[in-house]
Amino acid sequence: MDRALFPEGLERCSFGKFALWLLFITVFLLYGLYAMIVIFAKGIVVTGLDNYFGFGLWITVDLAIIALGAGAFFTGFLRYLLKIDQLANIINLAVIVGFICYSGAMLVLCMDIGQPIRCWFGYWHPNVHSMLTEVIFCITCYCIVLVIEYVPIILEQKQLYRIPFIHHLAHNMHLNMALFAGIGAFLSTFHQGSLGGMYGVLAGRPYAFREGFFIWPWTFFLFVLSAVGCGPIFTVLIATLMEKLTGRKLVDYKTKALMGKIAGTMLTVYIFFKLIDTWAWAHDYLPTTGLTFDQMFYGVIYGKWLMFTEIILCGLVPAIMLITPSIRNNPKMLYTAGILDCIGICLNRYLFTVQTIAIPLLPFDKWQTYAPNWAEWATTGLIVAYGFLVLSLSYRYLPIFPQERAMNK
Amino acid sequence: MSGHAFKEFKINWGMVIDLDKCTGCGACMTACQVENNIAPMVDASNKMRTLSWMLVFELSNGKPAPEAEVAYLPRPCMQCGHPACVPVCPVVATDKNEEGGIVSQIYPRCIGCRYCMAACPYHARYFNWEDPIFPKGMEKALSPDTSTRPRGVVEKCNFCHTRLMHAKDKARQDGGDPEALAEGAYIPACVEVCPTGAITFGDLKNPEHKVHQLSKSKNAFRLLEKLGLKPQVYYMSNREWVRKLGDNYAAGGKPGAEKKHS
Amino acid sequence: MGLDRRGFVKFVVGGVAGTLFTPVIWKGMDDAAKWSQNWGWIPRLPKGERKAVPALSKLCKSGCAVKVQTVGGAPFAALGNPDNPMSKGGVCPICAGSVQLMYSPARVAGPLKKVGEGKYSPIKWEEAEAMLVEKLTPLKGQDGKIAAISGDETGTANEVLSALLAGLGNASGYCAMPGEMLTATRGVKLMGGAGQPGFDIEGADFVLMIGADALDSWGASVANQKAFAASHPTGEAATARFVYAGPALNNTSGVCDQFVAVPPTATGVFALALANALISVGATCSAPDFADYKALAAKCTPEVFEKATGLKAEVLKDLAGKIKAAKAPLVIPGASFGQGSGALDFVAGASLNVLLGRVGQKGGMTLLPAAPKALSAAADRAEAKDAGSFMAQVATGKAAPAALIVYEANPAYALPQAGDMTKALGNIAFKVAFATYMDETASLADLVLPAPHPYERFDDAMNPYGVAKPTYLAGKPVLAKPVVDAKDPVDVLLAAAGKLGLSLGFETYADVIKAKAKAVGADMDTLTGGAAWTGEPKGGSLSLGAAALAKAPAPKADDKAVALAPLSKLACGTTELACPPADLLTIRDTELKGKDLFVQMNAATAKKLGVAEGNKIKLTGGSGEVKALVHVNEGVAAGTVAMLMGFGHSAWDQYTKGKGDNIFKILTVSDEAGTGMKVWAGSTVTVAKI
Repeated sequence: MDRALFPEGLERCSFGKFALWLLFITVFLLYGLYAMIVIFAKGIVVTGLDNYFGFGLWITVDLAIIALGAGAFFTGFLRYLLKIDQLANIINLAVIVGFICYSGAMLVLCMDIGQPIRCWFGYWHPNVHSMLTEVIFCITCYCIVLVIEYVPIILEQKQLYRIPFIHHLAHNMHLNMALFAGIGAFLSTFHQGSLGGMYGVLAGRPYAFREGFFIWPWTFFLFVLSAVGCGPIFTVLIATLMEKLTGRKLVDYKTKALMGKIAGTMLTVYIFFKLIDTWAWAHDYLPTTGLTFDQMFYGVIYGKWLMFTEIILCGLVPAIMLITPSIRNNPKMLYTAGILDCIGICLNRYLFTVQTIAIPLLPFDKWQTYAPNWAEWATTGLIVAYGFLVLSLSYRYLPIFPQERAMNK
Repeated sequence: MSGHAFKEFKINWGMVIDLDKCTGCGACMTACQVENNIAPMVDASNKMRTLSWMLVFELSNGKPAPEAEVAYLPRPCMQCGHPACVPVCPVVATDKNEEGGIVSQIYPRCIGCRYCMAACPYHARYFNWEDPIFPKGMEKALSPDTSTRPRGVVEKCNFCHTRLMHAKDKARQDGGDPEALAEGAYIPACVEVCPTGAITFGDLKNPEHKVHQLSKSKNAFRLLEKLGLKPQVYYMSNREWVRKLGDNYAAGGKPGAEKKHS
Repeated sequence: MGLDRRGFVKFVVGGVAGTLFTPVIWKGMDDAAKWSQNWGWIPRLPKGERKAVPALSKLCKSGCAVKVQTVGGAPFAALGNPDNPMSKGGVCPICAGSVQLMYSPARVAGPLKKVGEGKYSPIKWEEAEAMLVEKLTPLKGQDGKIAAISGDETGTANEVLSALLAGLGNASGYCAMPGEMLTATRGVKLMGGAGQPGFDIEGADFVLMIGADALDSWGASVANQKAFAASHPTGEAATARFVYAGPALNNTSGVCDQFVAVPPTATGVFALALANALISVGATCSAPDFADYKALAAKCTPEVFEKATGLKAEVLKDLAGKIKAAKAPLVIPGASFGQGSGALDFVAGASLNVLLGRVGQKGGMTLLPAAPKALSAAADRAEAKDAGSFMAQVATGKAAPAALIVYEANPAYALPQAGDMTKALGNIAFKVAFATYMDETASLADLVLPAPHPYERFDDAMNPYGVAKPTYLAGKPVLAKPVVDAKDPVDVLLAAAGKLGLSLGFETYADVIKAKAKAVGADMDTLTGGAAWTGEPKGGSLSLGAAALAKAPAPKADDKAVALAPLSKLACGTTELACPPADLLTIRDTELKGKDLFVQMNAATAKKLGVAEGNKIKLTGGSGEVKALVHVNEGVAAGTVAMLMGFGHSAWDQYTKGKGDNIFKILTVSDEAGTGMKVWAGSTVTVAKI
């Protein structure tokens, strides 16, 4: 039925099957859209956020998907600026995943703020001292860059590409891709760092606060490193998931392992500094605030196990797995390490967002707990469903994987 | 990058709250709500969603009966000298930029991102979860001094800033100096209403104002002094256990101990 | 068609720039900024000339002298009146939100006639007033057929009520809602004196409050708080010590130098044991019954004290030492919730003042002379019947009034064994309620006549309970016309009296108050301008009340039951007023959560009862039961459960209706030995987990 639209020389499942799959995604999309409409109509009073937890699942999701989407800029940087040509096999997917992550994050942010109509105030009345201003600017700009990077992939669609104007446009955009990759890398480094800075500057929140050198450049680079330490492997995991779902080979293992190596190297550097950072924080900084390491944690919900899971089980362990060639070259181990890595970084973003503000600093105050409610989960599901939708359509109709035809003969 | 420069002011409006005089009656909270047009909440027992610019905490000495004791601690906005909330606001909706050192909040500017709430360890900032809907007719009793805020913005105590404006206007009319208000010419609603006079208000830098001396007394302290936010609200109590609840002393420090880092 | 690199850049830049040159975006953004601030449903602020008008807010029991802030003539806030010697610029939490109460959703908007169970239809004032006269006319001259319950302790309206009843041949039907004033006046009588006692907190250097929550809900609380503040100058050494001996840590004890946890069942024992301790360190007095008193007190040994209170006897010794060392000690007896204690508990506490030689002294206990009356036909305030006893008689058929006038009172809610009281009200054929708010009693009345809010009426306050000197306050309306179709109840009663062929000598309440001011010797204009008149207490001595105390029964030990300590917190409202909307914020989430009230007890009591934090329990006592959640609070006395009163309203508005439970339902009324008074302060309850 839609065979004419398929990428040159590639097989796709039947339209009926595809329609069923889309229907499945649409269920989540519609539920999420319903939640979104409720949120815009009634305000975020319908969420589980409250006076103590102004930040919650949404901000965690924002930070996490921006970190996971870092595959786009970093792969672009390595592919176009450092000319690692092998990455061409996965760069398109990295761009699409990045686009999904960043556009999704912006949508979540619009829901998250109390006055969505004023979302543009960030550009109009910017506070140059605020990390969030930097984040808003860079995310928006980088999202535009991702659109520019994604557009030529769309234009390469078989039918569109036949139109001479589009053909020229796509060609020209490709020629400039190194420029955009450069801009992307520059912007991303900034906002990934600023996202860390967002918490690092919170002088009233000892869990996140870092002083002097430990905020700039330390925390900034910790966040940049943690993002590039998980972004590439997340792209690999997505590629592998797509392979499982479609039953076709899409990216060769060599490329995947290379991405794993890149992520692993970055993660190793990150974990090294993160361990130093955590030790210095617990040993030097916390006592000056009159607090102890123990006071940062509470029960199971905010227990120490979270931090150990983040740094050791989902940090140090995958780092070692990824930089050890024998482990990395075993697909199962690579994927396991990748999953651990991504969980670790998401957990890190969660802890910086929620644990930071959960700790009752006033000695006469009590711990409060936060659990996202249906509205937050539904809209988070919306973003995931939106990602699946974009990926499904892109996979079906666009030539994303240069190796696909050769590998599936 | 973390070193946001804060202005020094000639005048520092501030409070010294004598916790040995606060009965916790709640008149300050009520007066604050009336002065600042905070709509009454049907379920005000859900403290995770209420708006209380002024909030009276209950402090306990933690001892079993019959040695148990309580104290009450009113918590307005601390109007920090080094506010954690101001530099983080992405849209300059809050600032500490006016003589007197009151941390402002510009409601029409606020986008409701709540970053400032995450920054404030005193929980002095509140997100307006719902539109200010008063029961029919009660909007006729709105104060002309504080604009009503739509839902979705962050709001907080501003030491009844309009009262400062009125006091300055009056000083000008009377031929006085609006930048050298006499003690008592400007006081927030909570200070005025308090039946035991537990809150003393004035310019912390002006030796002619009582707060100047009181803030330096040996029993005076500030909440979470060690975090270095330099609040303009001081507390005082003769009871050591109360003073000790003003900050964290896990490292074995004593109440009133000097802050170790800057 | 060719598009080179340069052309591409031009295309992109041109497109963006072109869009920005159209006004669409800029206008849209500008509008969005405005809309998001000024939606139509966001209320606008009033404008106009601002004034501060002196007024008397009688929403709290003692009355706060305030300055009502108006803008364009409309009140918006009540601030303190520094010129008033009573409140000295302070305002209680109720009166701080008093203006908003003018627009309470619970306000009665106009006269209502009952047309069915819980159903009312609005009627015109003429019809309502005619109905009142019509119902009272046939009962004229039949003693016992007309009764009135007043919830106002201080107003001259009481004289009008009393004179009206007397004029209609029903003098015995005049009742007052229970309160400290009634109990204390009876107590003074038992001590051989007469008049309302006063307590000079300002002049004392040691204040022992036994039960009386004097710094929050007892007596003239703002004046008390001001006196406390004066002796505790910020940053300087305090000149007086305050000790609270009561069932639970409350607002008063929050600022006291010492808290002594005394179960509500042991108030009398505590006072007498303290007397014993004082006598043993040399306290003596010239009262004629000292010897009897000493013998009585001697029975309250440290062992008896320890058993009754669960405290160590050292506490007593230490306290006696401190009192003995003080120059001007003062003992204030009372109930933790301002009512229900017997005259004997009062005598036990007040006798300490006699023992210490503090009666009539500066900083001691005073006796106020009876206030001159505006209506000579009116009975003395102290002669009013206790509404609780009266309603108990109605319940059992001993009293059978055919008409009941309820003035600013809520007997259906605020009398002990509230369930029985509501039923008893059903025995009365015609009930008329003068009410500002649609409370539980108004919701049962056959005729509801809307009363003005304090800022819409004339009113006065004579000798609010607790004041050391005769004190008189009066206020005039801030608003020329009430915001609802209300009429002054006294005006309505005076008009009705006229139609019933009775001349009380006045046509309006304003005239009555003028006459009262004149009788007192005060200037009406000065009073309504925010000042207060004060006189001098009368002299006279009191006995130790030993004869009365001797009849006090020994406390019964009941292992199954625990003592119930109702707590009153002014911010939660009064017996007449549900918690004002502007005060809801002050209720802690350890006191009320959603619709559930908490019952507080210490860990030992919780263990004994087999309950834990957060458990839902049922308390049974009196003639009813109350459900609540457990909150472990170490500030509650041994073997005692404490609970806030002022909740569990079945009427009022969305802010209060259905929140928590009404503690009055489980208070048990019993007869006090020797005085015949009804008491319920030492009630016990049984607790069961549900």
